[in-house]
Amino acid sequence: MPVLRTLALAASACVFALSAHAQSTSLPRNQTLIVENPEGTIKNPGWFNYWAVNAGGRSTGLHQLAMDTFWYIDPNEGIDGVWDNSLASEKPIYNADFSEMTVKLRSGIHWSDGVEFTADDVLYTINTHLKTNGLFWSAPVQLNVASIEAPDKYTVVFKLKKPNSRFHALFTVRWNAMWMMPKHVFEKAGDPLKFAFNPPVSLGPYTLHSFDPNGKWFTWQKREDWKRTTVARFGEPGPKYVTYVDPGPPDKRVIAQMNHELDIIHDVAPEGMFTLAKQSKTSRGWFKGFPYAHPDPTLPAVVLNHQNELFQNKDVRWALALLIDIKAVSMASYRGAATISAIQVPPTGMMPQYYHDPMEAWLKDFEIDTGKTKYKPYDPTAGKQIADMLRPSMGDQIPTDPKAIAKAFGRGWWKPNQQVAKELLERAGFTKRGDQWYTPKGQPFQIRITTEGETRPVMTRAGTMIAQQWRQFGIDAKTVVAEGGNLIVQRNSGDYEAIMTWSVETWGGHPDLSFFLDSWHSQFVAKAGTPQPPRNWQRWSSPELDKIIEQVRAVGFDDPKGVELGQEFVKLTVREMPTIPLMAYNVFTVMDETYWTGYPNAEDAPYTDPVPNWANTKYMMVKLKPRQ
Amino acid sequence: MQSINVYIVKRLGQFFLVVFIGINIVFFVTHATPIDPVEYSIAAAASFGSTSPEAINMLRESLTELYGLQGGIWDQYLTFWKRIAVADFGPSVSAFPTPVSTLIGRAVPWTIGLLLTAIVISWVLGNLLGGLAGYYRESRILKAAGVIAMGLHPIPYYIVAFVLLIVFGYLWPVMPLGGGYQRNLAPGFNLAFVASVAKHSFLPALSLVLVGLGSWFMGMRALVSNIVTEDYVTYAELAGVERNRILTSYVMRNALVPQITGLAMSLGAIFNGAIITEQVFGYPGVGTLLVSAVHAGDYSLVLGITTISIIGVSAAVLIIDLLYPLLDPRMKAG
Repeated sequence: MPVLRTLALAASACVFALSAHAQSTSLPRNQTLIVENPEGTIKNPGWFNYWAVNAGGRSTGLHQLAMDTFWYIDPNEGIDGVWDNSLASEKPIYNADFSEMTVKLRSGIHWSDGVEFTADDVLYTINTHLKTNGLFWSAPVQLNVASIEAPDKYTVVFKLKKPNSRFHALFTVRWNAMWMMPKHVFEKAGDPLKFAFNPPVSLGPYTLHSFDPNGKWFTWQKREDWKRTTVARFGEPGPKYVTYVDPGPPDKRVIAQMNHELDIIHDVAPEGMFTLAKQSKTSRGWFKGFPYAHPDPTLPAVVLNHQNELFQNKDVRWALALLIDIKAVSMASYRGAATISAIQVPPTGMMPQYYHDPMEAWLKDFEIDTGKTKYKPYDPTAGKQIADMLRPSMGDQIPTDPKAIAKAFGRGWWKPNQQVAKELLERAGFTKRGDQWYTPKGQPFQIRITTEGETRPVMTRAGTMIAQQWRQFGIDAKTVVAEGGNLIVQRNSGDYEAIMTWSVETWGGHPDLSFFLDSWHSQFVAKAGTPQPPRNWQRWSSPELDKIIEQVRAVGFDDPKGVELGQEFVKLTVREMPTIPLMAYNVFTVMDETYWTGYPNAEDAPYTDPVPNWANTKYMMVKLKPRQ
Repeated sequence: MQSINVYIVKRLGQFFLVVFIGINIVFFVTHATPIDPVEYSIAAAASFGSTSPEAINMLRESLTELYGLQGGIWDQYLTFWKRIAVADFGPSVSAFPTPVSTLIGRAVPWTIGLLLTAIVISWVLGNLLGGLAGYYRESRILKAAGVIAMGLHPIPYYIVAFVLLIVFGYLWPVMPLGGGYQRNLAPGFNLAFVASVAKHSFLPALSLVLVGLGSWFMGMRALVSNIVTEDYVTYAELAGVERNRILTSYVMRNALVPQITGLAMSLGAIFNGAIITEQVFGYPGVGTLLVSAVHAGDYSLVLGITTISIIGVSAAVLIIDLLYPLLDPRMKAG
């Protein structure tokens, strides 16, 4: 068959011709750090105006490498302490009643086009947000700022409309914050909502080198004048180039790192991490061994909808908590690589030293009285039990030192007790007939747990395990899936019974809880069916909680009283169990040491969060050094 | 001649009716989605940073106004048709203020490039091999090709794609894992860029060809198997006409008519994109754009892509309907 032979020859020729084409990128690999951008493909890649809402990519390197603002708080221990004065030369200076905030700026910091950053840029940024609706930070600026003035080139004074002891949080990076705009660029650009800011003028140590018009990758190049940026205080950034890419689905991320084509994976499923740990000698996680993942300062929980009458009684909420076996949830969700928390504070960063450790004694003494039984539910050995359970299969990777176990797997959790749960439900008016529990109104006790399906498989597996545990007790519990925009609408409008999500996020490194706690005030709880502002998704209202929040508002950010109030919050939420806290949001960030060393890690370099979509990772660049 | 004119007018009428109804259905379906683009944007804006609840409420009002979502559905319906009339789908809500046409215009060439090539290759190869297999039924090579084509055809597409990725991206890493072209290469009409695009398209195209080839192969083989038993073929063989000429001029030409219809339908559907292909191979194109638009509740973008797709499929059917009289004389007569 001559036709077939010709076809076969042509196909072979194509394969070899294409294979012969150079595989490597045009940039020197040993000078290029390649990082996953979890935003994926950017629809509008030529848009670098961060201040317009949701218009382009953010963690494309734009906010990690090119943006800057007054302060950063590290989710871990920080490169030089948790707090870093970045564009500001010192901490915020408030007047006595927190109605005025003064910021002293660093001198000698320059935009990438050579113009010096000064108070004029701050004034321009604030005034633009005051007079323009619809910018990313228009609303918080318009709500808070009465006026701004610059007494000199390196000082700005904010006059606030009402006292706000946490106003500086707007300019303090925890993932992101309000970035400064270059006055000399934007003032010539016309409408700031319609200006693409392409190419961006950078205030960080890198500037845009090139990007894919299809939004798959963005490459940044170290500025020649990097010494005139704020990170220069900590040394020269290691990589000459940093490329943020969309590497595709999790399997491809794993393959790309095995091929040493992706230095930092943002997140993979536990199985992907285990595969890399086994097969790629140069890959490592935050922990050198199990559980590998970085615990983000975020607290996944079973969030119960308090506007649903079933969950308005704390006895019901506590009964549901006592039906959960956290060890099984840890195994189902993270294959054991979870860091559990019994309290409403993520067990991450510096939080354990402010909350978990000091409150251990109180938790051990905490007692539930069902009217028939007095029960101390806290089991301080839950984390250790998980470690013990994993040791036979994971061997030496599982620590034996109690402190190391606590850091990796968490401390205690609530001991499952079906008898106490039964008594609590009965006191709440629930009854059991046959194998099924019924509500006080005589309806079958049904709970639908909303999960994100394959979008967030770890949380979906946790929800499925919890539903199974509740079902075994006689509650008709099932999971339902809502992904993407559907999830957002259902969660925000309260169209759910229980949902696997988080309403607690902290600074990580700093004990102040206002980052999420202020939004839990009852003044912000929306009516059923209307959108709830983040983060009180559970729509819980409590006069006691309001009192704590109001006291927090009245004390300074660093006031030790803040920690005391935080601990009061923890005690209140243990008594009330508004949501059932589970664990930190562990992110399987995997770093390949083939080309770069100096990544942050739990053992000896916890200087920042390695999760690369955090703007805080700018500090990682100065610690990274080429291996070759 | 008059009957052909009536035929053309009827087909044109059908075309406009299908497009009108299709676009209306898409408009109302997209507006019935529970996803609120404003909430989506707010969630993206507030998901990590420090945001006060009061500020969120204020932002919600601003974005609703900015995205032009205040009016009722009939206001939006009228605006939509006014925009369609001038081929303007308005700004994308999830990439505001970039026009939808810009986003689609950026993605379409990639999709057309990949799918057009893959469809044409699989159509030509499938029909050629299927025709040969149907005619030269004794050939072992063609029998083996038939087994391979039938074996590949039922395998789910994404399995084939992942197998290709693992084989050529990991075990024998000669092909890139994804993207449309080599990173940091400046796009342009030069050898390096074209070669890079070809290389990055190879695995996605191969996966589409491998899976698509089977149906063309089997369809053509079945058609040819029937035609070879027709009297005129037997007569031609008895008359001593060359076998290759019988195959090309007598058998395959007749068998091609339904295959051309199928080809036109496939080409028309190009504008839908190849969603799984694009996702698995990280290939830029309309499919990825459509998925992200649906997740974000971006009405304008979904409407833009689906409108083009409806017009594409309908136009393909129209063209093939209009070409039929040329291909099949019976249509001319009837």
